[in-house]
Amino acid sequence: MKSIGLFLVRIKDYLVLTFLVIASLVMIFSNDNIQLGYFRAIAIGFIGTVQSGVSAVPNVFELEKENKYLREKNIQLSNDLASLKEAKLENIRLTKLLTLKDKNISGVVSARIINKSLIQTRNTITLNVGENDSVKINMPVITDDGLVGRIVGTSKNYSIAQILYNKDLKISVKTQRSRIDGILTFDGFGNIIVTNVPKAADVIVGDLMVTSEYSNLFPQGIPIGVVSESGNLDNLFRKIVVRPVVNFNILEEVFVLKFNQSKEKIELEKVFKAK
Amino acid sequence: MIVSFVKYIVIIIVALVLQKTFVWLISISRYNITPDLVILAVIYGGLRKGHIGGAILGFIAGLALDILSGGFLGLSALSYSITGFIAGYFFTEDDDDEKKSILTGMVFLCVFIGLSIYYLVYYQSPGNIMPDIFIKYVLPTTTYTTIIGLIFILFLKSKRRSAYG
Repeated sequence: MKSIGLFLVRIKDYLVLTFLVIASLVMIFSNDNIQLGYFRAIAIGFIGTVQSGVSAVPNVFELEKENKYLREKNIQLSNDLASLKEAKLENIRLTKLLTLKDKNISGVVSARIINKSLIQTRNTITLNVGENDSVKINMPVITDDGLVGRIVGTSKNYSIAQILYNKDLKISVKTQRSRIDGILTFDGFGNIIVTNVPKAADVIVGDLMVTSEYSNLFPQGIPIGVVSESGNLDNLFRKIVVRPVVNFNILEEVFVLKFNQSKEKIELEKVFKAK
Repeated sequence: MIVSFVKYIVIIIVALVLQKTFVWLISISRYNITPDLVILAVIYGGLRKGHIGGAILGFIAGLALDILSGGFLGLSALSYSITGFIAGYFFTEDDDDEKKSILTGMVFLCVFIGLSIYYLVYYQSPGNIMPDIFIKYVLPTTTYTTIIGLIFILFLKSKRRSAYG
């Protein structure tokens, strides 16, 4: 009996550990005990009170993390906002273009500019429409603001158009107010000018230049630009500089007009010139 | 016996409050690594009070932590009891006998065993692979807790040295 007692004393450490382990396991397997739940509620309430007092201390690391998150969120939202603005602007542009259709301008092909040159003397734009879309050479290209140019080359799915800033494009124009005729062309140095206007003609700064009915390429009355400079070139003619109504720098969408030129008129003029 | 326990009970209560309130100040939140101050207090108790003292202190500390954390009731009690008991193997009454390197190794071993029991039970599920549990939870927490423990060891040593001149 004494030896058993001595043995138990010798292993008392392990007995205590065994007891504690069993107690722990019993608790693990009876986790839903109501009394323990009540005790737990009190303890959590106490620690919660302490924690709420401590929460007044700013957590620098968490603030840094939160800051980083907010910065990233800010960038993401800025991007979303930019996309929405872009969509809104596109919507406005397309709505304006559709308004053209409402004005009974028939035979219109909408096109997107996929390439553009503005710094040469023979500037052009490339459109994503071509022969498959019934686009043909010499068709006028316009926007809701006014004239852009004319088609000079086509393929199945693409076309190239001369724009006003192209020395090869010459357009018969007139002032909307005083009906003074002239020939509009690009001087190759950044200015769009109107030539063949007599010195005595009534052309003032601010006059709107539109396409003339004399043109075989363009329908009459399409706005081209506003007179920005009007002075004397020599003893016979005026020097007129025009600022286009179309902003070519931000131009993205255009319409190609299926303009039917009067073949009879062209033939007659040819015959007369031949004589 | 009970009176001598009071000091360690107080240490455990302080560790519990620190663990539940201020530990985020020294936690590495990006990797979810939080030092376990309570287990350090338990190891300290085991080191000073031996197997039985360490196991009982571990049980009390673990139970308190379980109650406060709202998790598995009894799991921390189980793992901390065993941790305190193991710390008792390094029981010594003469403070000067303890070398810093041995103490650090002892702390690492005790924390490792205690946390291994805790995490292996806590994260037991078919999806969790044992090496993952060790790499993600046990080893980082053990290492960080040991570093904090080492700071305490150095602090206590220097304090004792200055007290004895």
